[in-house]
Amino acid sequence: MNRPRLFTLVLALAGLLLALLILLPIIALLLASSPGALLQLILRSEVQQALWISLLTSLLALPPIFLLGLPAAYGLSRLNGKLRWTLETLLELPMVMPPVVAGLALLLAFGRRGLLGGLLADIGLHIPFTLLAVVIAILFVVTPYFVRRCTLLFDGVDRKLEDAALLLGASPFQTFMRISLPLVRRGLAAEAIMTLAQGIGLFGTIILFAGNLPGRTQTLSLAIYAAFESDPQQAFGLGALLLLISLLLLTAVKWVAPQESTQ
Amino acid sequence: MSGLDCRVQYPLAQYELSVDLSVKPGVTVLLGPNGAGKTSLLRLLAGLTKPRAGRIKLGDRLLFDTHEKIDLPPEQRRIGMVFQDLALFPHLNVRQNTAFALSLRRLAKTEINQQVEAMFDKLGISQLAERKVTTLSGGERQKVALARTLITDPHLLLLDEPTAALDPSARGAIRRWLHQILGELQIPTLLVTHDAEEVAWFRKRVAVIEKGQIVQRGSYHQLLREPQSDFVARFAGINLINGELREQGNEKIFLSSGGSQLQGIFDGVLPGPATLAVAPWEVALFAVPPGGSPQNVIPGRVIERIVLGDRVRVTLLAAEKLVAEISLNAWQQMGEFGEGTELYAVFKTREARVMNT
Repeated sequence: MNRPRLFTLVLALAGLLLALLILLPIIALLLASSPGALLQLILRSEVQQALWISLLTSLLALPPIFLLGLPAAYGLSRLNGKLRWTLETLLELPMVMPPVVAGLALLLAFGRRGLLGGLLADIGLHIPFTLLAVVIAILFVVTPYFVRRCTLLFDGVDRKLEDAALLLGASPFQTFMRISLPLVRRGLAAEAIMTLAQGIGLFGTIILFAGNLPGRTQTLSLAIYAAFESDPQQAFGLGALLLLISLLLLTAVKWVAPQESTQ
Repeated sequence: MSGLDCRVQYPLAQYELSVDLSVKPGVTVLLGPNGAGKTSLLRLLAGLTKPRAGRIKLGDRLLFDTHEKIDLPPEQRRIGMVFQDLALFPHLNVRQNTAFALSLRRLAKTEINQQVEAMFDKLGISQLAERKVTTLSGGERQKVALARTLITDPHLLLLDEPTAALDPSARGAIRRWLHQILGELQIPTLLVTHDAEEVAWFRKRVAVIEKGQIVQRGSYHQLLREPQSDFVARFAGINLINGELREQGNEKIFLSSGGSQLQGIFDGVLPGPATLAVAPWEVALFAVPPGGSPQNVIPGRVIERIVLGDRVRVTLLAAEKLVAEISLNAWQQMGEFGEGTELYAVFKTREARVMNT
């Protein structure tokens, strides 16, 4: 009788410590600034710019992520065996890649002397250190996560519903649009918000591939890094601001996400 | 409307599914134990799985042929299938589910509505139109699934264990309903089941499948008389009483060859030679004739008692020979009568199926 009780105690203690580990820094950050200071911060134009760039690039990345990711995820979820395993591993490659390395890799692919650099220069496109570079960085890092989560969503769709739609005369595309997609709509809405949050938080890849140019490529995350060098107090305020945005997005995810039961 | 002709081969885990089957307009029952390959066969016909070899012809359209390299996708086969778990679309209501096939075509809204309403009327489910499918009872879901399929005007209808998922109280009513609807339609229909009672409703054409092969074909009668496999033999204990159906004014009555007057389900049965079928487990035994609700009572002497685990099979002989299967417990409580004892076999009117012979 004693042993399970001791074990329960261990579990509770681990949980408690983890909760402290999560909550302590968050509380510290929120305590470091006041609502008044936050308001003042938001009114500053360079902060507004960084906030705008953060939101804009994440929003701009959303349509291509959906356009590329949804068909890929659906296709992947209809596969079995070795092919699926191989493709999933390919998908996990950017996930295990350190963000800074991802930035370097993107430079080498799209930079002036990169693989596609000459080709891009010929058509007059210069990607690194532009807003487009920020969007591409988000695409590169976030899409694999999106695809993986959406594959799981589609895995949860009962195949028999799709079979039934086919037998009622629907083409595979009609079946996707009218059965599979509507069935995961709440999950997809949650994924969209999740993707926004991930994009807004991105740092290492962006700073290498897009630089830290205020007003052009400086997102809120990069602005915090820049401020920390010169004015730590401002960095804390910006941090609290970014944290509040993330909390807002998390609340939104919890609100739209299907709770436990998909059906 | 002409029927289905198919010859398909497909490797299953345990054995090879190898089926040669034709389905004429009307209902053909495919009877077989679980794991015999019934659902696999339906999926092959529907185009959801690809046969290793074979040929599937529906009317004069070739749906699949390995030699001619023809393999129509499911959406072009014009085959309607009602899945065992029905597969109603949970994000659509009853009306939207039923209209699904029509909404894929370029039809005017009014045209769609008309057809949907007509189908609702035909199946008697108009009152369900705006319900969410997740709130329907098992029987109601069955009806909606059939409506959704029939509206496509299928050239072949596949029903996978249509009553297996229902609770026993709803089963009888849905069977009766299905029997009536399918009788009116005359679409070539393949109804898959492992339940002998279901066969009793659709008894004209039965094919028995075991281990991927059709082992016997014929009417339910032929099957019961000359069972050619253990699986069929298990059902062969069904009581069959020969006689004729007579009309007395507005009343119908079954008069057995032995002279008993019996009541049963007479829907669609014509006056004349007929057979009454009742399963042994629907027959109860009494030492004194019971009164009360309308039921059939046949007296007889015990000629045989066989104990099968916790059940006992008691055969009574008088004007008719009748087998009753009751729990051993009940039999012991009655007093374990010896051979020669006079008892009364009793079964409910709605458990007695009557068919023309």
